[in-house]
Amino acid sequence: MQPSDGTVVHRVLSGDVEQYRILVERYRAEFGRYAVASVGDLDAAQDAMQEAFIRAFDALATCRDPDRFGAWFFRILTNQCRNVLARRRDTVPLEEVDPPGGARADEGLERGELGAALEAAMARLTPEQREAFVMKHVDGRSYEEMAELLGVGVDALKMRVHRARDALRSLMGALR
Amino acid sequence: MNEWEGFGADAHRYLDGEPFEELSGAELAAADRLAAEARDWAGRLPRLDPALDEAVMAAVRERAPARRRRGLGWLVAPQTVRFRPIWVPVLAAAAALVLWLAPRGRRAEVVLTPVRAVSDTVFVRFELAAPLARTVSVAGSFNGWQVGALTMIRDARGVWTATAPLPVGEHRYEFVIDGTRWVPDPTAHAEVDDGFGGRNSVIVVGPKGLVRS
Repeated sequence: MQPSDGTVVHRVLSGDVEQYRILVERYRAEFGRYAVASVGDLDAAQDAMQEAFIRAFDALATCRDPDRFGAWFFRILTNQCRNVLARRRDTVPLEEVDPPGGARADEGLERGELGAALEAAMARLTPEQREAFVMKHVDGRSYEEMAELLGVGVDALKMRVHRARDALRSLMGALR
Repeated sequence: MNEWEGFGADAHRYLDGEPFEELSGAELAAADRLAAEARDWAGRLPRLDPALDEAVMAAVRERAPARRRRGLGWLVAPQTVRFRPIWVPVLAAAAALVLWLAPRGRRAEVVLTPVRAVSDTVFVRFELAAPLARTVSVAGSFNGWQVGALTMIRDARGVWTATAPLPVGEHRYEFVIDGTRWVPDPTAHAEVDDGFGGRNSVIVVGPKGLVRS
């Protein structure tokens, strides 16, 4: 049986640094897909995840509820992913996205190509919309789980997801 | 619903797994397709390399201080008592009373946090546990967000502290670790967006002391 987050955090703070590996393995698996989907690039996701774990280790003594290390770590990871997106400087606010015109995006596209279209469309979302859509439709989390992890209210998260869906439908142009 | 516009409210309810009233076949198909594409895309996402775990552990080992204490060393090691900034005026008043009552000439071993509460300025003590940091400072609206303007002092357990006179009013701040890493105060009761993807901590100082941190 695996020790709880709180037990592991206590052991690490007591000097048993190797115990930190338990948290790294646990949350690399738990949030890895979120990181990749959020930043849209494997290498950048690995960098964000690694930096998040190191920052979490540095600040471990400030984790007020060690039994909820996962939620605390997720917020650090979210900030790292947002930093990656901000550094790219190619994120276009939704308000500036031109409505698509011409041929519909799905005409003649195979499934994988449409997946690529989805990925390209997601790159045009705001970071908050993108992370909310990823958590809801890629990770398959409930709004309550999302609220717990992000520290944001359910209504606000629904709004982000709804706007993300609307934008994606518009951008991809074919999801009728 | 025009395909270039968003989904209707019922389509969103459907995608959220909530009861909905009316949904056209086209809307239903569009909603199903978006959800299916997202799932399909998720299934094709590359996985993080498990070698990342060892890279993290290697970095962590380098940063870990010698935390082990041997024998009864903890008895003589400096200890820190954590308390929130809101208690600073109270504790300082108590310490001042003890000093006033104590025999003169025996105060050399007592180090007081210089705290006073006047009508326009209150001394506030900041504290952050960061055992692996090399330097920590407080940058905020009260010192022009200058890194290093208010440097903190580390104790033996890795808890950093600094005291500063703050004017009455609301102030925003962050801790700056090793000169580059900005982190909010984990004990602050309020935070606001800093405009750069991070969060600023908020402290409110009243004429009679700290109102809220």
